[in-house]
Amino acid sequence: MKKILVVDDEENIRLLFKEELEDEGFQVDLARNGEEALKKVSLFKPDLITLDIKMPGMDGIETLKRIRETERQLPVVLCSAYGEYKQDISTWASDAYVVKCADMTELKDTIRRLLGL
Amino acid sequence: MLAHSRVLDLLKYVIRASTSSQPIEARIDQMLKSLSVAFQTDECFRLCPEEIAKDGFFSPVLREKTPLWAEEGSYPNLGTVLPEERRFLRPSFACIPLHDEVSFHGILYLGYPDRRRFSPEEKDLLLLIGKEMGEVIGNAEFHQQSQQTISELTSLQEVGKAVTSSLKLEDLYERIVTAGLTSLGAKGGVLRIQDRKTGELKVSYSVESYDQDPEDERISKRVFFSKELFSFHPSTEEDGPSVLCAPLISKGRVFGTLAFYEKTGQPFRFNERDAQLLLTMANQTSSALENALTHYETSTMAHDLEMRLKQYSTLWELNKALLTTIDLERIIHMTLTAITMGDGLRFNRAMLFMVNQKDRTLEGTMAVGPDSAEEAGTIWSILSRNGAAPFEFLTHLEPPSDPHSLLNSIVRGVRVSLDQEQCNLAKTVLQRKPFHVHLERPGDRPLDGRCGRGCHLGAEVGCYVGERLGRDPRPYSFATVPLWGKGEVIGVILVDNLYNQNPITEADLRYLSMFSNQAGLAIENANLYRNLEAIHQELKETQSFLVHQGKMAALGELSNSIAHEIRNPLVSIGGFARRLHRMTPDEAPEKRYTETIMSEVVRLEKILNDFYDYTRGEAMTFKEIDLREVLEESLSMFSGRVKNGGIEVIKDYREDVSKIVGDFHHLKQAFGNLILNAYEAMKGHGTLTVHIHPVLKKGMSRVRVDLEDTGHGIDPENLHNIFNPFYTTKDDRLGLGLPIVHRIVTSHHGQVEVENRLGEGATFIVTFPVKEEG
Repeated sequence: MKKILVVDDEENIRLLFKEELEDEGFQVDLARNGEEALKKVSLFKPDLITLDIKMPGMDGIETLKRIRETERQLPVVLCSAYGEYKQDISTWASDAYVVKCADMTELKDTIRRLLGL
Repeated sequence: MLAHSRVLDLLKYVIRASTSSQPIEARIDQMLKSLSVAFQTDECFRLCPEEIAKDGFFSPVLREKTPLWAEEGSYPNLGTVLPEERRFLRPSFACIPLHDEVSFHGILYLGYPDRRRFSPEEKDLLLLIGKEMGEVIGNAEFHQQSQQTISELTSLQEVGKAVTSSLKLEDLYERIVTAGLTSLGAKGGVLRIQDRKTGELKVSYSVESYDQDPEDERISKRVFFSKELFSFHPSTEEDGPSVLCAPLISKGRVFGTLAFYEKTGQPFRFNERDAQLLLTMANQTSSALENALTHYETSTMAHDLEMRLKQYSTLWELNKALLTTIDLERIIHMTLTAITMGDGLRFNRAMLFMVNQKDRTLEGTMAVGPDSAEEAGTIWSILSRNGAAPFEFLTHLEPPSDPHSLLNSIVRGVRVSLDQEQCNLAKTVLQRKPFHVHLERPGDRPLDGRCGRGCHLGAEVGCYVGERLGRDPRPYSFATVPLWGKGEVIGVILVDNLYNQNPITEADLRYLSMFSNQAGLAIENANLYRNLEAIHQELKETQSFLVHQGKMAALGELSNSIAHEIRNPLVSIGGFARRLHRMTPDEAPEKRYTETIMSEVVRLEKILNDFYDYTRGEAMTFKEIDLREVLEESLSMFSGRVKNGGIEVIKDYREDVSKIVGDFHHLKQAFGNLILNAYEAMKGHGTLTVHIHPVLKKGMSRVRVDLEDTGHGIDPENLHNIFNPFYTTKDDRLGLGLPIVHRIVTSHHGQVEVENRLGEGATFIVTFPVKEEG
């Protein structure tokens, strides 16, 4: 069973993602911010991370940079409320960029593609 | 010895003849006949003084005033006998001197073929009759001379009266020459006066055509420079006419000559007396004539000055009028009107062509003048009844009543390249000076349409290249003057007198040039002001654009954080609703509730997306595109609605529409929004008309799209807010459609405007600059 780490500062989003992704057959762990996410990467050893960009403290872009220092191969999907970060060169280090939407089809498709499922 | 009765008869005839009122020649003839009969002579005649040679045989008779008696074939040896005198030396003859107390009048000659003697009584009688004849001739000559003197004095008096009268100079010349002709009995006369400016000795008046003979000029020059009388007395008529020429001298200065030719009657030449008379006449007339000349010059100058003063004051009035406005159209209209009005420069028609420096062309700007002679008559009679001063008239000038007059539309259609150096209009700009063109023989037919140089003035009013001419067969003149701005020619004014055919004089042109210099400055000022206004307007637009941009940037910042805050809860709501939806059995009533939540969330997310599009925008890809294709695409998005509803779409696409540079996708979205708007306004019933056509705006080629609907129009209260994001009059929309249209169009350097017809519909007008060639 593939493990996915969902990083988001919004509790409801974390809950929604967890339930939806678990329905898809993934093992899901959650992190509330960048620091927690970095710890969970080494503890939980996820196969893929969905990472919110706008978070208090360490934001998603900074977190992505830190993850890449150790985990070069780990797929990371940036998951933001807006597409404006698409133009930000720092986001290019991610493997995908998905705008958050109530209809989660796009996110699920992206995850399956990155995991080769 | 004569019989007593015969002597009495003789005396009776002689006395009758001497007192007769007949001409002197007839009286002398009668006396000679009586003598011949009484003395039974072979020959009896009178030798005139001119016929007696000075050093001849008979000269002592003349000199000594003593008679000569040749009796019995002998006569005193008085001296040499000249050959022509031989015939008088008959066997017997008598020569009695004829004289009075003053002068000698010839010799009475009686000749006989035989030798005879004269008795003392006969001698006494002959001497007595000779004395009587001398007296009669003397009296007659004196009478004739008195008559002549009286006539000369009369002529001189005439001349005197003439030169002191206030006659016109030409009439004065005529009188002087005519008086001279009468008193001298001359056939022809020439009066020459030196032109004060050129120094040329000009013919001022001439009777007969002696002034045409180069000899006349030579003689008058000689007299002019020698200041002396010239006289020529030919011995026979074949040697040419007799001439007298006197200088006209006043205060020691020669200013002309007066010559007379050919004495009429006998003798055919002028004599000393004539010469003296001419000198007297010349002296008498000179100072008066000089005064008259000076007076004439002074009055001409005064008249000239008066004219100029009038011109200056008119110019001042006109300029004053031009200063009352800075409106370009109005100034031009006033200028051209001033050129054509009766109190102004009095030309029939005036046309203005302005220089377009960018294209190096002259563009017809405006024309003032009637289209036909009939119209000219009507206008001029109205104008002449209007007694207002030029200033009043011009400042109350109404805008052109008929801006589409034939002449005006022809002139407005004219564009002449400045490279066409042979065109008089272009020449005026290039050579910076006025041209006056007079065409004597107009062409046989008018030009058809435009001439090869692209100007169709020729077809209507005459080709200003001057090769071929207008419809009017009369000779045609026109003049062009440059219109000066600040140091450069900004246009050309063309004038003509087509209708009244008044000649265009140098003075007219000078006056026109003076005025056009003033008008040029006024036009230039108005132009500058207009540019200033345009720049000001542009600045205002830029400013509002920047303010708008600034607002958008701030809005973007704000919306970003708000949207972020809204997006996340929406995702949760929508996401969980979907989960619920999946878990709810299809037949359960909750299914409808979850569906409602889901669709509302979709709608909210769409609004957020629109909003995002408006505040951030995606990068555009600019390509060369055809707006007709864009419109087709936008319309196709609504094809379903067209089929179902009662909405008719009319497409009016012009063929000659240029391509523009733009982003196909964005423009499709913009027009889609406008079309959607129109559909909603028409509420399912109406006509949407789409026009696409090229236009010129501020001298730039543009493509204009009009979307005309038959909806309800826009409430005037909302009109100024329609491009404002977050503003809507519709309950179910956030009204981002028009702001998005606005943003897309302006980012294409285009403009969007709305023409509102309340209750009838609205037209959205979108214009884009065309793709520039190269």
